[in-house]
Amino acid sequence: MTEPSGSPDKDLIRELAKLLDETGLTEIEIEVEGRKVRVARNVTVSASAAAGAFPAEVAAPRIHGERGAGEELHHPGTVVSPMVGTAYRAPAPGAPPFVEVGNKVSAGQTILIIEAMKTMNHIPAPHGGTVLAVLVDDGQPVEYAEPLAVIEKG
Amino acid sequence: MFDKILIANRGEIALRIERACKELGIATVAVHSTADADAMHVRLADESVCIGAPPAKDSYLNIPQIVSACEITGADAVHPGYGFLAENARFAEILEEHQLTFIGPSAEHVRLMGNKIEAKDTAKKLGLPLVPGSDGPITDLKQARKIAKDIGYPVLVKAAAGGGGRGMKVANVEDELEPALATARIEAKTAFGDDTVYLEKYLVHPRHIEIQVLGDGLGNAIHLGERDCSLQRRHQKLWEEALSPALNDSERAGIGETVANAVRKLRYRGVGTVEFLYEGGEFYFIEMNTRLQVEHTVTEMITGIDLVIEQIRIASGAPLTLAQEDIRFNGHAIECRINAEDPRTFRPSPGTITHFHPPGGLGVRVDSGAYAGYTIPPYYDSLIGKLIVHARTRNECLMRLKRALGEFVVDGIETTIPLFKNLIAQPDIADGQYDIHWLETYLARS
Repeated sequence: MTEPSGSPDKDLIRELAKLLDETGLTEIEIEVEGRKVRVARNVTVSASAAAGAFPAEVAAPRIHGERGAGEELHHPGTVVSPMVGTAYRAPAPGAPPFVEVGNKVSAGQTILIIEAMKTMNHIPAPHGGTVLAVLVDDGQPVEYAEPLAVIEKG
Repeated sequence: MFDKILIANRGEIALRIERACKELGIATVAVHSTADADAMHVRLADESVCIGAPPAKDSYLNIPQIVSACEITGADAVHPGYGFLAENARFAEILEEHQLTFIGPSAEHVRLMGNKIEAKDTAKKLGLPLVPGSDGPITDLKQARKIAKDIGYPVLVKAAAGGGGRGMKVANVEDELEPALATARIEAKTAFGDDTVYLEKYLVHPRHIEIQVLGDGLGNAIHLGERDCSLQRRHQKLWEEALSPALNDSERAGIGETVANAVRKLRYRGVGTVEFLYEGGEFYFIEMNTRLQVEHTVTEMITGIDLVIEQIRIASGAPLTLAQEDIRFNGHAIECRINAEDPRTFRPSPGTITHFHPPGGLGVRVDSGAYAGYTIPPYYDSLIGKLIVHARTRNECLMRLKRALGEFVVDGIETTIPLFKNLIAQPDIADGQYDIHWLETYLARS
């Protein structure tokens, strides 16, 4: 966790922790007026971790219907990947990222690029608002429906 | 040999392929739709990639997503299984363009055998026996009437692009020909977007007998005997056995060698199945399936050969190491398709399996991705597993099958298990006296 100068804003942390629970995210990082706060928790969710486990044990109560490969996400501002590919946060290597946590974005503004089959696909913000979290690293492979970012509407 | 294989399929066959890969020391990548995130093929793979929404066109048939999944995981080959993209020549070509190996025959052979008229022409050239019929598409009613008269009624109208029983209509007498043509054309147009139809002699009491082949694309090919898949409902196989109770050794060797020769001439690569109707001691070519079949397991049980391992080896460029004289048929094997369907109405029965107990013991094999707590999604086919039983003789095999069916518990959904329990008790089944219409007649009666 990055400690900003001055006392930590406990309310903000509490609010973020609550958001973490609500959204099912594992990590949130925000930056407001030069103050950076990151909350994270340890979870062991991965496709390969489930492999090898005895099915009956992992087959406990499950959610019906559609589900992405990652965790359940309920935050209405979550942007998920429409395709399988490699995510890039910037238009070119070394260039500044399309968006950073805390940025204001407008609907349709490119927030990431996903390369699939040698094609660069711009991923637009579905709505305007503030970038609460960017959930992928530059060059990270992503699955269909994988959460990419959270943009708080407004 | 490949380092990593992506399996572009789901369910029991994806699991079946993973098993072969693991025995070859090859890493596996499962792909899945959002509806299949909890599926066994996803859990047991080394890696998995979610490739799309539940409808197959958005996921298991979505070529760009599958190619991207290969790219992000570094897979060097794709096994298509059966169904979905297994017989899609364009898919095979696209993979090749991306320096990925399609584990199957050449795109050219997939395309050739996918078109029923071209397939028949080819079969004829290769010396395979054909059902007499129109040598090409039907253009008008007058031509259809003449051909039907020449080959003799009843005749069957079939869609050139057809499969799975759609676009097929029987005309028993000349008056029925015109409506049969019209209906088949509409069905073909709806199902395949192509209303080309052709005509052939309709055999009254044939058996469905198919020959398993294995070729290396270098001109070497062998056959692995036949499977009798006559027990069908609406052209969907439900029970398959090897060897066929209807053939003797000389018939077997005869048709086997004819087919192996054809496949050698074709320079076919991989596993394939040449399907025939068999009536009155004669074989009539139906089609060639350029892929692994659901019922490949019965051939494996009687030959001891892992067809998926052979298929992968050949796809990696290795020549065929098996010679025809290496193939020995030991005992008898029967496969029952366990579908999530009502055993009387065959209405699909998706839902959650509350209890699952597969049978075991000597000579019993269950290929299934089902488990207690598994929810069968409504988007895909209803096959949830296959029960395969092997024994020294057909009689022992039937007793073992009866025993295994008695042990099999799948609660929470309807399955075809009760149907098989009833079939076992039928004298015709015990005697091996059945044709492709037997099951439908039996179902209508009971």
